[in-house]
Amino acid sequence: MSAAEIATHCPYCALQCGMRLSSDAGGIAVRGDPSFPVNQGALCIKGHTAAATLDHPDRLRTPLLRGPDGALRPAAWEEALDRVVLGVREVQARFGRDAVGVFGSGALTNEKAYLLGKLARVALGTRSIDYNGRFCMSAAAAAANLALGVDRGLPFPLEDVSLAQVLVLVGANPAETMPPFLRYLEAQRAAGGKLIVIDPRRTRSAEMASLHLRPLPGTDAAVACGLLHLLVREGALDTPFIEARTEGFPEVKAEAAAFWPERVERLTAVPQAGLMEAARLLATGRPAMILTARGVEQQSQGVRNVFGFINLALALGQVGRRGGGFGTLTGQGNGQGGREHGQKADQLPGYRRIDDPSARLHLAAVWGVSERDLPGAGPSAYEMLSTLGEPGGVRALLVFGSNPVVSAPEADRIAGRLRRLELLMVSDFFLSETAALADVVLPSAQWAEEEGTMTNLEGRVVRRRRLRPPPPEVRTDLQVLCELGRRFGHASRFGFEGARQVFEELRLASAGGRADYSGIEWEEIDARDGVFWPAPGQGHPGTPRLFADRFPTESGRARFHRVAPTEPAEVPDEEFPLYLTTGRLLEHYQSGTQTRRVAELIQLAPLASACMHPATARRYGLRDRGPVTLVTRRGSGRFTLEVSRRMPEETVFVPFHFGGEAAVNRLTHGALDPLSGMPALKSCAVRVEAR
Amino acid sequence: MKRDLVLVGNGMAGARFLEELFERGAGDRFCVTVFGEEPQGSYNRVLLSSVLAGKHRPEDIVLNPPGWYRERGIELRAGVRAVSIDLQARVVRGNDGGDARYDTLVLGTGSTPLLPPIDGLGRPGALIRGAHVFRTLTDCAALLREAPQARRAAVVGGGLLGLEAARGLLRLVPEVHVLQLLPQLMEQQLDPGGAEVLRSTLEGLGVRVHLGRQTAAVLGRDRVEGVRFADGTALECDLLVIAAGIRPNVRLAREAGLPVERGIVVGDDLAVPGFPGVHALGECAQHRGRTYGLVEPAWEQARILADRLSGARPNAMYVGSRLATRLKVMGVELSVMGLSQAAGERDEEITFADPARGVYKKLVVREGRLAGAVLLGDTAPAAALLQSFDRGIPLPDNRAALLFHDQEGAVPIRVADLPDEARICDCNGVSKGALAAAAKSGCGSLEAVCAATRAGTGCGSCRPRVRELLEAWRAGVSEGKRDAA
Repeated sequence: MSAAEIATHCPYCALQCGMRLSSDAGGIAVRGDPSFPVNQGALCIKGHTAAATLDHPDRLRTPLLRGPDGALRPAAWEEALDRVVLGVREVQARFGRDAVGVFGSGALTNEKAYLLGKLARVALGTRSIDYNGRFCMSAAAAAANLALGVDRGLPFPLEDVSLAQVLVLVGANPAETMPPFLRYLEAQRAAGGKLIVIDPRRTRSAEMASLHLRPLPGTDAAVACGLLHLLVREGALDTPFIEARTEGFPEVKAEAAAFWPERVERLTAVPQAGLMEAARLLATGRPAMILTARGVEQQSQGVRNVFGFINLALALGQVGRRGGGFGTLTGQGNGQGGREHGQKADQLPGYRRIDDPSARLHLAAVWGVSERDLPGAGPSAYEMLSTLGEPGGVRALLVFGSNPVVSAPEADRIAGRLRRLELLMVSDFFLSETAALADVVLPSAQWAEEEGTMTNLEGRVVRRRRLRPPPPEVRTDLQVLCELGRRFGHASRFGFEGARQVFEELRLASAGGRADYSGIEWEEIDARDGVFWPAPGQGHPGTPRLFADRFPTESGRARFHRVAPTEPAEVPDEEFPLYLTTGRLLEHYQSGTQTRRVAELIQLAPLASACMHPATARRYGLRDRGPVTLVTRRGSGRFTLEVSRRMPEETVFVPFHFGGEAAVNRLTHGALDPLSGMPALKSCAVRVEAR
Repeated sequence: MKRDLVLVGNGMAGARFLEELFERGAGDRFCVTVFGEEPQGSYNRVLLSSVLAGKHRPEDIVLNPPGWYRERGIELRAGVRAVSIDLQARVVRGNDGGDARYDTLVLGTGSTPLLPPIDGLGRPGALIRGAHVFRTLTDCAALLREAPQARRAAVVGGGLLGLEAARGLLRLVPEVHVLQLLPQLMEQQLDPGGAEVLRSTLEGLGVRVHLGRQTAAVLGRDRVEGVRFADGTALECDLLVIAAGIRPNVRLAREAGLPVERGIVVGDDLAVPGFPGVHALGECAQHRGRTYGLVEPAWEQARILADRLSGARPNAMYVGSRLATRLKVMGVELSVMGLSQAAGERDEEITFADPARGVYKKLVVREGRLAGAVLLGDTAPAAALLQSFDRGIPLPDNRAALLFHDQEGAVPIRVADLPDEARICDCNGVSKGALAAAAKSGCGSLEAVCAATRAGTGCGSCRPRVRELLEAWRAGVSEGKRDAA
């Protein structure tokens, strides 16, 4: 590494590829870090072009305040923070403490996520805090916690993926969402492994598969039950494992008996022969690994869908075996760490439950407050957003690094709700669609301008490093959180001078929790290519692999859960005859606030296209590249048609990275999974019109 | 205040109804008593042929063990048959003399095998030795016990169940015959053309099929030694299976004074008209003039009745079921749904037949939508057709294409034939043109081209194609020179 080069990690997805940054007169150079084991030097185009946002002309360089004329104008920090503090105090005086809400993000560093939770619980005293990860990881997280006792997305290092003799990707498209991951798939294939992809679309990942099953949107749970049925029939269960290390199997086996292949075919549209072939591969390939992602999780029965696939991994006795088991592919950059340290409505740092008396006492001691003063569990993200401005709802909202106007379901309704707030504060580095509605906009530092830690999809804690300071009038979120804490009367509890000090407190706060960081030394992180939590206690080396001999549940056993597949919240009918599903493009990230501003990316993927099978397009008289309007019971949007044989005939796909008329989440359904609060972003009923 | 609910019959329909009811939290609403005649409790009848075929163990197909009922506070009277219903007093009496009072009564009495008039066969429950019906786990166990000793088995009935039984027996008995009264197999689901192809497929597997043969008598005094047909000919056999259809069990309802035709008459609310609080579902129920013998309609009824009685959807209505089924016979691919032939002038038929390969496919289209289909020998299009059938989706103009599953086999395209704008590296959005430009500007090696364009620096999977391109260009350059010279 040359003197001017720093080692950090990509600002985008949960792989957290190692990257090296250097700056010279020509600008900032990015290259993949060949020494970081996850990506071994590889980057996708989002990573390669990540520096383009740093000096972008759109970048927010001062705070903005909404004036009496309704327009946003530049303002000084003092004035902006005064407005926030005044607004919060007024709302709390009139409507109570819980009327102030905090909305965080899976893009925030561990330190920010931790401090955001502390700000809400200690300085604001509100229970109303949640984050955009609710739309991302909440279903898989809830399922893994209940079934396996802990939610670490991958309970093993990525390198284990290459060892799987049969690998199942369910509702996962890493070829586009995290391209460098494909190196592990290539290695797996080279070692003779088989790949099964379960996805309604023939994605680039599905093209790599030995077998592709295409269920109707929202029917994944029936596929899982059907596979278990066949594994029972083929005698492929690992009975010693089931008896020694699990509980609840008889009920699940009885349930699966009702999912014979003919029935599953009718429920899911997966041909019987395909289901049988998948079962055959699962029955014979060892080790066997199953990975889920948003396709199965962003459903109104997301948790139960995940249960279905955890059941399979357990029934095959693969969980805890090297190269086998169950995992979920986390999406956002710090989607893992972001769900561990207390920005979730029902959670305290260290992945503790906020209703657990001992957890409350522990945190009260770390924070130097009385346990009685800590609020209880608040509403989940979508519940909070959909009651903004209502009696009993949130009246002032502080948003950090999130853009719910684009990413939340029924986005039109959410935008309307945001407009009714007494105060909306947004911290971001561009004027996102959500920031554009705010009363106060705070300009924040970007990834190359701050320090901190991130926890990637493997539960590996890595260091984010600063290449250069932020522009003069731009502050890091940590500075802002500390300043707000001070202004709300908790100067001593928010007197941090940088990320490292916050991290040291986070270690204490997480000690003894499920996600225990207490043994992770700041200086040691790089030396060990990142450290896997849990690392309980000083000097602990970290835990790359979980579940080898026990599960962190009360009984020490993993628990099977009944799946009880049901129809999705909305299915096609005469009026809305097709399925609408949403997802991601390789070139863009999340709500597109960053990537839509990178010239190279927008040139490659300029538009939100509605993708449709040619036969479907013909049926509705649509032509390729022509305009198309999609209408659901929630709203409508205008898109450009892309005819594609990757699509099944009954389904339209739209990526969700775009705003305005092309924001597909204006159309999606806000039905929530009862166990996790995950909305049904992945399936609803739609009508198409040729204009 | 809980109300008393009595369920008579704990088969596929009744057991499912209970599950659905308790999933909707109706445990607080009802005190439930169940009369279940079969002592083993309820099991999944659909998988009986799978047990016969040796794929499932009998214990694998039990629906709910006794503990399931206990945990929910359900009083299960296993092995007790309901013998009478007093509609005035609202009481059901069991053959053990025990009464159960009800506010709500659900009849799921199912059906019994139809015994055709065959001399010497015996009567229900007391068939001549060597003769069996194929209906219950007990029947299945008896068949599995006797079949290995048999030399020749005959199955009376060429419908779905008869053929599944025949194929299951073929595993255990050297010779299996199917005796069908009608001139074709599976007359309820198949048109004559399809049935003929099925016959030849089955014969290819070793099942001997006799069509248009009426079985008149069983030969043998103490046990089955053969059968005699109405035309006077005979067939020796030592195992006889009767699979000649089913008859709804309606005696209990009829004697109580409920309206009974072929089945117990119910309305769209699954209640017996004129008898408030009395319901019927499953194979014993007759809805809009139809009785059903498949599990899907029974389960649909169970769901709707549970919706109504639990209060989850008190106005849910049952409007009839669309029937589709598959023959679960190893070595035969057969999927059928709806009509097997046009039923009027407005119906169209699209047929593809390749009897030599055992393939027969047919669509019946009504008003642009799928009214029925037969897929024999190649069921790959079934999953997609079922969707059109179940959801009534308008069919595309090119109906023939529906008969052939789109394999979507990616036609391998030579990279050299791709246009310049084609993307080679997805991860980094590098087009063929960009690679060409890099190669032209002097990047000779794979590594140099990749470094200059970022192609292959993401997932790396495009590297072979980049190499292929470079090689093609090198070859092309030398070819170009030759042409010029």
